[in-house]
Amino acid sequence: MQHADPQLVKGLAIGLGAIGPAIGVGLIGSAAVGAIGRNPEMQGRILSTAFVMAGLVDAVLAFVLLIVFTTK
Amino acid sequence: MLALALASTTEPLAAPGLFSIGPLTVTNAMLFAVITALFTIGILLVAARYSQLHPKSRLAYLFELLVDFIWGVAISTFGDRKTALKHLPFLGTLFIFILIGNLTGSGLLPGVGTITAHTASGSEPLLRPFTTDLNATLAMAILTIGSVQFYAVRQLGLKGHIKHYFASPLWNPMNLFIGLNEVFGELLRIVTLSMRLFGVIYAGEVLIAAVTSLAGNLGWLAAVPTVLMEIFFSFIQAYVFMMLTATYLSVALGGEHETREAELVS
Repeated sequence: MQHADPQLVKGLAIGLGAIGPAIGVGLIGSAAVGAIGRNPEMQGRILSTAFVMAGLVDAVLAFVLLIVFTTK
Repeated sequence: MLALALASTTEPLAAPGLFSIGPLTVTNAMLFAVITALFTIGILLVAARYSQLHPKSRLAYLFELLVDFIWGVAISTFGDRKTALKHLPFLGTLFIFILIGNLTGSGLLPGVGTITAHTASGSEPLLRPFTTDLNATLAMAILTIGSVQFYAVRQLGLKGHIKHYFASPLWNPMNLFIGLNEVFGELLRIVTLSMRLFGVIYAGEVLIAAVTSLAGNLGWLAAVPTVLMEIFFSFIQAYVFMMLTATYLSVALGGEHETREAELVS
């Protein structure tokens, strides 16, 4: 692997690393929409919880971004 | 092929030292953390001075709104007015300090990271937002988990707190394994708390720099949506840190909160 192009490795890192958080955010969004559809009067609390969960999931993508941007 | 060489243009992972007081090297993140803390204390003192039953000052109103929000989180997590009131100052300190630290890192303040100081090792940025330094977030996470342990020991006693991890017949290998797992998870909380905050804020700052350098001449325009996203993430991360601290505290202080919360909901 010592001849691997660093640009290719960076692209693969961000591409593969974005899969998991993307699925996670999608699941959160679908669950939030479903929950709001079931009882719309709880919309505020459901949305705030969903944003917090999205923040927890986005941390994974932040680690990937960190690795991609800080390595040469 | 696009050659950004971002690792050299943005700030390094470790905060560079500016000067040293005896054996202690003061880094730029430490300097800005002290400035941020003084600013936070000052603005809170001013807000507390003008706070009254029907606040006329907008600053006091804003901070009362913030404290009310933190109070809502505390009371919904602990489910107990007395416990929530006892831990409200700690949670409020964490939230407001992390929020202001994050907001300084989201490209809002001019001069942060651009004003340089000439040191022995070359010119370094004079001010660096303290949540973009892993040392700062790690220190906050260790303090948080340490105080959670302290409050748990004070509430339940050392024996009761250890019983929280290890179930009663210790000779059962399953109980021992689960208990060791729990202790390891407690240590892992330090790592996840610190890495989450550091990763999101530092990656956001690097992202702003990357978008700016990609856009060329219109970099200032292209960075605006990224800066707005960073402000949003600053709030989310400060809230997540505070909410996780409240959850750890309420779990460590005893198991009766679940039934109380169920009563509140029903």
